[in-house]
Amino acid sequence: MVELDEEKHWLEHSRQGDHAAFENLIRNYQTMIHSLTYRMTGSLADADDLSQETFIRAFQQLASFRGDSKFSSWLCRVAVNACLNWRQRERRRAEVHEQWAGDNFSSPVPEEGGELLDENARNVQAALNRLPAKQRAAIILTVYEEMNHAEAARALGCSEATVSWRVFAARTKLKRWLKPADRGMPGR
Amino acid sequence: MNNSELDKILKAAKTPQQSTEFWNQFPRRVTSRLHWKSAAVQERAASRFPQLAWLLAGVAVCLLLGFFIGNWRGHHEATAENGLLQNEKVIKEMLAMFPNRVRAVVQDEHGLNVVLSDKDNMPVSTPLWIKVCDGKRCAAMVTFSGQDVHIGGRDITVLADAKGKIILASDKFLWSNGQALVGEGKLRIEAKTLAPVVL
Repeated sequence: MVELDEEKHWLEHSRQGDHAAFENLIRNYQTMIHSLTYRMTGSLADADDLSQETFIRAFQQLASFRGDSKFSSWLCRVAVNACLNWRQRERRRAEVHEQWAGDNFSSPVPEEGGELLDENARNVQAALNRLPAKQRAAIILTVYEEMNHAEAARALGCSEATVSWRVFAARTKLKRWLKPADRGMPGR
Repeated sequence: MNNSELDKILKAAKTPQQSTEFWNQFPRRVTSRLHWKSAAVQERAASRFPQLAWLLAGVAVCLLLGFFIGNWRGHHEATAENGLLQNEKVIKEMLAMFPNRVRAVVQDEHGLNVVLSDKDNMPVSTPLWIKVCDGKRCAAMVTFSGQDVHIGGRDITVLADAKGKIILASDKFLWSNGQALVGEGKLRIEAKTLAPVVL
């Protein structure tokens, strides 16, 4: 993990438009953001795009980062918002495709990189994909990014109670979908 | 399944890994897009500059034209109003058309109006020209001493003496030429005696 002083130094220079300093920040958080965007989308190609999109937005919005939370938490917030917007765009795109494709339309859940994942990883991702986007975001932030509910609430721009409810609802579904008898059939 | 067992399953699920080369190039790809975006923004701003300049110039020309036309019209209307009401021939024709009935000839935003008496008992006297402005609008009239008239939204009694002193009185103000207005401070009043009309 990057030393805080070093990170502050890079942040300061990035705010002044120094792309080289910002590249250092990207290098430190790129895999974290890529994993988050992959878990949010279930698509490697979309995760690549959304990771880039996240860092571009972060650079453009650096002035709004006041340092009252960890930079990584703020970055997660930017990434989650980018993913939620992506979901909305995808839904609109899917609706248009559905109109044209009629009965032949199939669910747009890409499986790129699937050959690299074990069965558990595929099942988990399929279960995550089935969750409503906001519940998925709540689970990803609290389980994978290990944020507490207050931090996740700040990242998602909602109340702590809402996060708690979303996490509870998501856990209930995931337990049902991932219980041993159902493993291997999460997409039902 | 409890929460910790679920978390264990969730955390055990790895995400697909990109190659080392991908990650080495990733920061540069992002900053290249930043360069491209900022260049595109600058280019758009640069390409918009002549359009913006033309637009601003157009707006400035329109504003100047509007100002000059408005100024010219305002001046023109004021001159016409003064000229019309102070035109002896016009007043003479009005008085001849309605003998002993004309109480006032008013010009305001509605145009020129003649205020007539019910009976033909109006004495012939020297006409008085009065103009009342309240900051928003102006109205002018020609009337005679002793008349109660409505001008500029106010009921006013007009009085004049033999020496040419004119007094305007309402329930809210008192004005006479040569003395300060008492009452409504925002009013601007002008009044003068016109030449006697010989029918």
